[in-house]
Amino acid sequence: MRRSVLNVRLSIGTLALAAIAVVGIGLALYRFFSGIGAVSNLNQGYPWGFWIGADVLAGIALAAGGFVVAGLMHMFGGERYHPLVRPTILTAFLGYLLFVVALMVDLGRPWTIWHMIIYWHHESPMFEVGWCVMMYTTILFMEFLPVVFERFRLDRPYAIWMNAAPWVAIALLVLFTFAMTQSVVWVLAIAAVLIAFEWLIRLGIIHRDPRMPTMLLMAGIIFSTLHQSSLGSLFLMVPHKLNHIWYSPILPISFFVSAVAAGVAMVIVESTASAWYFGRKVEEELLKDVGHVLTWAIFFTLALRTTDLVLRGVGTELLVFNTPSIAFWIEALVGLIIPLALLLTPQFATSGRWLLIASLMVITGLVINRMNVAVVGITSTYGATYYPHWIEVAITSGIVAAGVLVYLVICSNFPVFAHEHRRPAETPELAAGLAAHA
Amino acid sequence: MKTKALLIDLPRCTGCRGCQVACKQEYKRQAEKTTFFGGPGYQNPADLSAETWCLVTYNEVLVNGRHDWVFGKRQCMHCEVPGCASACPVKALEKLDSGPVIYHREKCIGCRYCMLACPFVVPRFEYETWNPYITKCTMCAHRQVAGGIPACAKACPTGAITFGDREVLIREAEHRIAGNPGGYVHHIYGMEEAGGTCVLHISSVPFEELGYVMRVPRSPMVAHTEPAMKAVPMVMLGLATVLGASYALRTRKQRDNQPAESGHIS
Repeated sequence: MRRSVLNVRLSIGTLALAAIAVVGIGLALYRFFSGIGAVSNLNQGYPWGFWIGADVLAGIALAAGGFVVAGLMHMFGGERYHPLVRPTILTAFLGYLLFVVALMVDLGRPWTIWHMIIYWHHESPMFEVGWCVMMYTTILFMEFLPVVFERFRLDRPYAIWMNAAPWVAIALLVLFTFAMTQSVVWVLAIAAVLIAFEWLIRLGIIHRDPRMPTMLLMAGIIFSTLHQSSLGSLFLMVPHKLNHIWYSPILPISFFVSAVAAGVAMVIVESTASAWYFGRKVEEELLKDVGHVLTWAIFFTLALRTTDLVLRGVGTELLVFNTPSIAFWIEALVGLIIPLALLLTPQFATSGRWLLIASLMVITGLVINRMNVAVVGITSTYGATYYPHWIEVAITSGIVAAGVLVYLVICSNFPVFAHEHRRPAETPELAAGLAAHA
Repeated sequence: MKTKALLIDLPRCTGCRGCQVACKQEYKRQAEKTTFFGGPGYQNPADLSAETWCLVTYNEVLVNGRHDWVFGKRQCMHCEVPGCASACPVKALEKLDSGPVIYHREKCIGCRYCMLACPFVVPRFEYETWNPYITKCTMCAHRQVAGGIPACAKACPTGAITFGDREVLIREAEHRIAGNPGGYVHHIYGMEEAGGTCVLHISSVPFEELGYVMRVPRSPMVAHTEPAMKAVPMVMLGLATVLGASYALRTRKQRDNQPAESGHIS
């Protein structure tokens, strides 16, 4: 007989995840008594290390799948991608929550994180990063709510949500604009465009999507775009420390573009892995189309990086045999060149397994890239060196393991993969509720 | 208000470390347990730390064919447009009009972005406590307010540290270099580094031989992030418009409850 907890079956895999999570979270708690120095090799010359590279830079980029799929659906009308939306929104939401938990370990005084809400400094890229996290996590939470409404048959809250969510999204976007510019002109310009759009939908001049308020998807895409790129902007501040293989004025753009590629790859890996775990059929035709998008995303990332390196005249430095150039070549080969070659070779491109392998390589390459920017490419002065402490790795692993477990619990108890969502307008109570709020 | 500054005339330094001790005393910072370290320099402690904000470095330099002790000084440079303050998301670091870059510890969230942003590797973090703060030299802003001068300048017995108006000190530095062209290298470290700083150094040997950070941009650190930050509202407006318009165009056939066409990706 199979045992299960919260409908998640106990297997060697899930038990191992639980063990890693318990160890990691225990060590994370220890850090709050002993200080960051006791659990990490971070030092005065290397204030940022493994946690920033893995949890913040790579973690956020890998959570980008949510916005990429939302974007595909939105921009290109890929209605067929709808089955992918809920799982990717869930992973993005969980990814962001995990990132916030991980950040609590890395921040020196995490209980003061709310200071970002009251002490504004719009000149600082870190301020933008912090605000994007808050805003986009809220949007992802709202995008995930329909799953909860359906599970508990909360038709009335569902109807209220359908009505209110666009205004909440507009309010967040406008508040964000004010925080980033402190300019009334910008606030008015952005508010005008958003409110006009929502009004046209309400008037029936623009089509109203019965499943998900379009304004919510738009807010998600805007916040994600800004968040992914602002993580690159962080490192614009360090022309003196970051090796110029990676330091470039277009860091925000290359962070954004590579996050799109990694987000697409994550959708492929997640779909394949969860189909395997839950014993469902892989949506193969769908994933092949996603693979096509992946090919273009890698191609574009590679073209952008190459152009950037050539224009900045860094080309010859890549032929020198030293740590930065080796790190760069590993990143480029694993994350861009080999997967692109695989996806362009017809016999590999049509195979689900090779598509999965290429996606895993893109993801690995992205993690290496972010680690190169955060750690490997950074040169400090006065002889400081840094290599991650095993506890740093254990804490990150623990948080990720906990996240996978939560994902399994939610997918086993909520209609994440259900293909036949009830559309609000299709139940009489909901239709009445919508009419009452319109 | 005129911007105040410190002029560090290194050839006048005898390496007595009076400034180092005065600084510790002023801020009641703990003594450190130190060990002999490898690498350049023979100073003690080896580097600035969360407890040491002012440090005299001991450097063995080849001068006129013989080895000589030449001293350097490490402390916060009090940039005119400080990278640390530009980086801080909660304005915990603030540049005062009078010169000092000060730290509001109650605002700090401990993200350590200031440490990364500082081209002179100055801000330090208290890694060994559960409730850590950033620490660094404050140019004794509180003493200045009370009409005093920074503790290090007050303690210096040889006149190697002079406190005064930045413009006056730059003229003084130029005057000293011009008056003894063989005794000084023709470089006022801090006049242009990182857009100009309020701690100015002049030296008898090239600064790189004293372990000074030479890879410092001439422009303020914020100049590198400003274009990206300025683009934020433009990206927002552009995306909102493009996304809205593309959605309206794509769904124009569905809006009158016509049967939805299955989408396709080009």
